[in-house]
Amino acid sequence: MRPLSPVLASLANVFRIPITRAPVRPTLTNEILKSTSPRSFSTTSALSKRKEGYRGDRRILLIRYFLHHPLTPRPLRFSRTRFLRHWTIHRAWNLYQANQRRTHELELQRQWQSMQAACEELRTGAGDGGKLFRKSMIKTGVFRDLVPIEYARLQTEGPGREGWNHEWKRD
Amino acid sequence: MAHCERASKPLLQCLQKTYTKGLPALQLQSTRAFQSTALAREEAQAEAKSVPFHKAPDPALVTNPQLERRLLRQGIAPIGSRRRRAALQNSSNIPFEQLPYQCFQEARKVLVADRDDKLRDITAMSEKIARLQAVPTEEAGGEQVKKSKLRAMEVHLEHLKILADINDPLVKKKFEDGQGDLSKPIYRYLSDRKWREYRRKILVQRITQMKVIPDVLPHCDPIVDTKLYFNRNQIQPGEFVNAQVSTTAPKLDVQLFEGGEKLVTIAVVDSDVPNVEKDGFDFKMHYLAVNVPISATSTKVDLSQLSADSQVVLPWLPPVAQKGSPYHRLSLFILEQKDSKPLDFAAVKAKETERDNLLPRTLQARYHLKAIGAHLFRSQWDETTYEVMKEIGFPEADMELRRKRVEPLPYKRRNPSTFR
Repeated sequence: MRPLSPVLASLANVFRIPITRAPVRPTLTNEILKSTSPRSFSTTSALSKRKEGYRGDRRILLIRYFLHHPLTPRPLRFSRTRFLRHWTIHRAWNLYQANQRRTHELELQRQWQSMQAACEELRTGAGDGGKLFRKSMIKTGVFRDLVPIEYARLQTEGPGREGWNHEWKRD
Repeated sequence: MAHCERASKPLLQCLQKTYTKGLPALQLQSTRAFQSTALAREEAQAEAKSVPFHKAPDPALVTNPQLERRLLRQGIAPIGSRRRRAALQNSSNIPFEQLPYQCFQEARKVLVADRDDKLRDITAMSEKIARLQAVPTEEAGGEQVKKSKLRAMEVHLEHLKILADINDPLVKKKFEDGQGDLSKPIYRYLSDRKWREYRRKILVQRITQMKVIPDVLPHCDPIVDTKLYFNRNQIQPGEFVNAQVSTTAPKLDVQLFEGGEKLVTIAVVDSDVPNVEKDGFDFKMHYLAVNVPISATSTKVDLSQLSADSQVVLPWLPPVAQKGSPYHRLSLFILEQKDSKPLDFAAVKAKETERDNLLPRTLQARYHLKAIGAHLFRSQWDETTYEVMKEIGFPEADMELRRKRVEPLPYKRRNPSTFR
């Protein structure tokens, strides 16, 4: 069956005449066309077969695409005084943080030193020839006789819902 | 301009409202005694009020094109854009430090407190230095110990001086505008940092790539920024300079980044004078001057203006390159004299009379010099070289150098018998 001419097709459409087409019997020309078309045999995609050479790094392409996309906001630009104010705040913040770090370190140092002083006092001032100190410094079993595994729970910000497990017994 | 003013009016009005609201709440604290920008601005306004504006237009505020043109005719360029000037006309000129932004003001408080801390440290440290200096050497634990202690303390003091000012936005602004006062340590520090970021790297690269460093002097660590000008044109390190241009002695801009004054020796050496008999290259000293004072504030050195009877040992000799010779590297070295003591000019003048084969290494060893700055330019045969040669009486001006043809070794010949 020949395909309808465009005029006929439009007329059929207007008058809502259903045009059912009988399945076209494969003709010789169709067969030849199919067999000669290279697509049906090739496993490489058409894009990769194209001989245009290396087209650049894909990541760079993507970066460029998103950087210059109209939906990307413009880079942050400041006026002179605005930038200077920004810089001032930035420097002050850095200074503040550095001071905080420094005080924290000093505090740790102070604590460590006071601990050291206490140990020294125990060694020399206890009057037992440093026996107590030596006993306390023995590290054997430190890594074996640990606290019960039940105590090892994740550290949380606040207390748990039930404050204490009263039913727990060492078995 | 009318529409310009109209355009910026609504914005300015709302800005002004916030200003008037925000200002009384601010404490007008002046952090530094020498901040005088606000005062100067007020004075200028007071002066302008007495005369009508169109008689004496302010270049920072003028927006009328006619008035602008009149100012330009007087030789005063209006400052900034016309839009900016229009905006400034109606703004209450709040100095930068008192801008009513809360975070900014809080940040300034932190910085000011830190600066006060640093100032206290500085006074404490200088008192400590004075106390140590007063202590006799035996009590301080020997001369060496005292010296090293003092040295360390002075270094720390310099560091503190920089730390006191480095967070000041106005210092940053002034430095970026090029108005920094180089007699102050903070501006010297900033300009040194800027120099090291780019220009020094270029210089070091050029003098090492063109092998000036091992050829002319064994080692050079530049600490002064050197710029070279021939007839007001700046020469980048390693640039080729026309022979006609280099007939006059160059001008130097030697920027020292330390306090105090230094006495330096300036030497310009050509390290590529072809020597046909030797089949090699010789040195030639093109300029030598001693006892040149440089400091952070006085940087200009004109090599032709130095005094001939107390500084210039060998006057400027225009560099020329013979035709056919490879390019000549003319390297300029700024050599620091030991302890900034002046050299005996008469003795140096009597000793160094011969230009040929006067090596900078010899000079360095003989007078205890240390290279603190370098520059480099190159010269080659060009169309003006011949006239310059005739002018200065160069002996072999008409001669052209040719490379000797080197017979290739038998196994490198193009078509030896073994190939057949």
